[in-house]
Amino acid sequence: MSWTLIFQHLYLVIMATIGTIVIGLPLGVLAYLNKSFNRLILWSVDILQTLPALALLGVIMVFIGGNSLTVIIGLILYSLLPIVRNTYVGLTNIDPAIKEAATAMGMGKFYKLIHVELPLAFPVVFTGIRIAVVTSIGVAVFGTFVGGGGLGSVIYRGIHIQNMNLIMSGTLSLMAMAIIFDFSMAWIEKKLYQK
Amino acid sequence: MIEYKNIHKEYQGVSVINNINFKINNGEFVVLIGPSGCGKTTTLKMLNRLIKIDSGEIYIDNKNIMEVDIENLRRNIGYVIQQIGLFPNMTIEENICVVPKLLKWDKDKCNNRVHELLSMVSMPYEQYAKKYPKELSGGQQQRIGVLRAIAAKPPIILMDEPFGALDPITRDILQDEVKDLQKKLNLTVIFVTHDMDEAIKLADTIIFMDKGDILQIASPEEMLRAPANEIISEFMGKRGNFLDAENMACSDLMRTPVFTIKDDKKTLECIEIMKKRQIDSLIVVDKAGIFQGVVTIESIRSKGKAGEKINSLISKDFPTVLQDDVGKTAFDLLMDKKYDYVIVLTRDNSVVGIITKSSLAKALASVVWGEM
Amino acid sequence: MQYFFSTYGQMLLKAVFTHFYYVLISVSIGFCIALLLGILLSRIPKYSKIIIPIISIFQTIPGIVFIGILFIYIGMVPTTVIIALSIYAIFPILKNTYVGICEVPEPYKEAARGCGMSQFQILTRVELPIALPTIISGLRMSTVYTVSWAVLAAMIGLGGLGEFIYRGVGTNNNILIIAGAIPAAIMAICLGLLIDYVQKLVTPRGLREENSK
Ligand SMILES: Nc1ncnc2c1ncn2[C@@H]1O[C@H](COP(=O)(O)OP(=O)(O)O)[C@@H](O)[C@H]1O
Ligand SMILES: [Mg+2]
Repeated sequence: MSWTLIFQHLYLVIMATIGTIVIGLPLGVLAYLNKSFNRLILWSVDILQTLPALALLGVIMVFIGGNSLTVIIGLILYSLLPIVRNTYVGLTNIDPAIKEAATAMGMGKFYKLIHVELPLAFPVVFTGIRIAVVTSIGVAVFGTFVGGGGLGSVIYRGIHIQNMNLIMSGTLSLMAMAIIFDFSMAWIEKKLYQK
Repeated sequence: MIEYKNIHKEYQGVSVINNINFKINNGEFVVLIGPSGCGKTTTLKMLNRLIKIDSGEIYIDNKNIMEVDIENLRRNIGYVIQQIGLFPNMTIEENICVVPKLLKWDKDKCNNRVHELLSMVSMPYEQYAKKYPKELSGGQQQRIGVLRAIAAKPPIILMDEPFGALDPITRDILQDEVKDLQKKLNLTVIFVTHDMDEAIKLADTIIFMDKGDILQIASPEEMLRAPANEIISEFMGKRGNFLDAENMACSDLMRTPVFTIKDDKKTLECIEIMKKRQIDSLIVVDKAGIFQGVVTIESIRSKGKAGEKINSLISKDFPTVLQDDVGKTAFDLLMDKKYDYVIVLTRDNSVVGIITKSSLAKALASVVWGEM
Repeated sequence: MQYFFSTYGQMLLKAVFTHFYYVLISVSIGFCIALLLGILLSRIPKYSKIIIPIISIFQTIPGIVFIGILFIYIGMVPTTVIIALSIYAIFPILKNTYVGICEVPEPYKEAARGCGMSQFQILTRVELPIALPTIISGLRMSTVYTVSWAVLAAMIGLGGLGEFIYRGVGTNNNILIIAGAIPAAIMAICLGLLIDYVQKLVTPRGLREENSK
């Protein structure tokens, strides 16, 4: 097994996470700002996460063929839930007194959001990002079935040729990756909450 | 009778209860008081064995509690905590019935008991029994907490700052209710608080603790009059101010408005009123509001006839004070203990108020700690 | 469409049943084991503080690995899939059972002890009912994941809806992919909704959140 596969896996996860943040954060903010959208948005991302991963990837493949972009789009859709939900919850749970104070100081809605609410909600959003990353690392394994590469292909090949070593090396790299990301991000999270 | 003998407790080598001894009689209302961390909760919870005793023994009716089955012991001691702790997954009715059910009472008996208890605190069964704790206010929840504790008719009730989280008005009402229940059911209550006002109002005996020691065991009056040492007087406020209280007039100590009845009322009517208000005497005035005397439930029971007017049953033999008499007069009359209250009159004998132990305590407390 | 159903209809129906069968059996087995272990762990919080993180680490192993390894040792039989999926289903339920019980606020437990309940009575009358919503959330997670991983049964030739997806992906047959993906998605969503409904049903009014989303 080569490092290339590990980097490939990382590439899928990181690209997907960036995508999820870019899409999920505004969706979460929208859900917070607009009460009529909030049910629809939260319900949709919940359904997306409920879909079986390989089914989701299969359907995307129908549209754009099998490659790493298929996997990245799949991962984005799959991990929207934690980021959207945490953005929404983080913003909703800010102490109303602080929001009121900001309004009383004459901040506009948008200014207040950027300068007060989002910074305060950030630790909760970050927790969502962590969950999204760790989930993506696992789900990216399905990538191999739609030609996306990554560590899934090592495990898959190991199963096919019944080679325990191959399976183990793939699995352990995967576990290590998940644990390293989880722990280091949890550590940052703790710092964020302490502030 | 409850007896603590040489009770000692330590945590990680630090002693928190230092060989304390005391006795509590049946039907006594004992309040444990002292600064935070002095060991009140620890002392209390050792009785139902929620906290292990390191050395010493506790006896209930001469039986060492360590020799009683732990669950049986607890089922026979009511327990009320500050956080209320009603089970959120159970209805009010189910909460009240927890201990009766553990004791395997049958359904009817449980059901009757719930009706009886809810009516005692004027919470209609139909309205409240099927509700869940979070659907009640804090005061109502703790009322149910108290009912849960007394449901299986335990002779002893432990209460750990039960009203500490309630607003002052609700607290006051619940204090009255608990005191009433305790008297009516002849319960032995051990009650933890750090609020001297509450202790004075409720206690027959106050046990003052500090740093794991008992500093004084005394009635509220005695503790007010003669605190055993600096720490206690410090805790009760600046003692110097207390002298001002002696210069207070009776009108400063009384409770108003006061409930009176006209002297042409019939006996049965009076009994009805007494039952409803759960009191055993009524103050009688004439048409012009002039004080005539007092009718008691006993005199109606022993001498009264149905349908008769109460004129002949009015007793003049009841302590009264004038509203500008010095407070000490009322205090002394009350400490006589024969009467629950003293009637306050104007110069032309109309009734303006009554002084009870709790109105007295409240007035004194307001002198000690300022307006409450 | 007509053509599709006459060719694949029978097969699709069978695949749905097989898939559902795998999920049902595995989640049931996983649930029982997880509930017992979770209760057990909650009795020994000292050790559980070490055991639970270790379990969390195992949770990062993807389901494909369990299926793959068991395939090598047990072979191409349904038991392989069921054991693998059961093991996978255990983790979320186990964790939620443990956390749910441990998070029961101390005053309730103290009140229960003060009322004279035995350890077992406290567990069945106070701790488990209060933890139930959390436990059911774990069950939902397990179920949804299991529907997802059961797709891989096809990887070792054991049927289920994965067979369509798997074959469709392999032969670039979009109709096959969709034919497998849609029922699988519907199954996951329906089971999710069903469990949400059960959750509502078993949560006493006193534990429901007023403004649930
Ligand atoms: N579980 C415990 N471990 C260590 N120390 C404790 C524990 N419980 C109580 N203490 C200590 O014992 C002392 C008495 O506590 P407690 O009886 O709860 O006080 P009170 O109820 O009077 O405020 C305090 O100093 C407290 O810090
Ligand atoms: Mg205490």
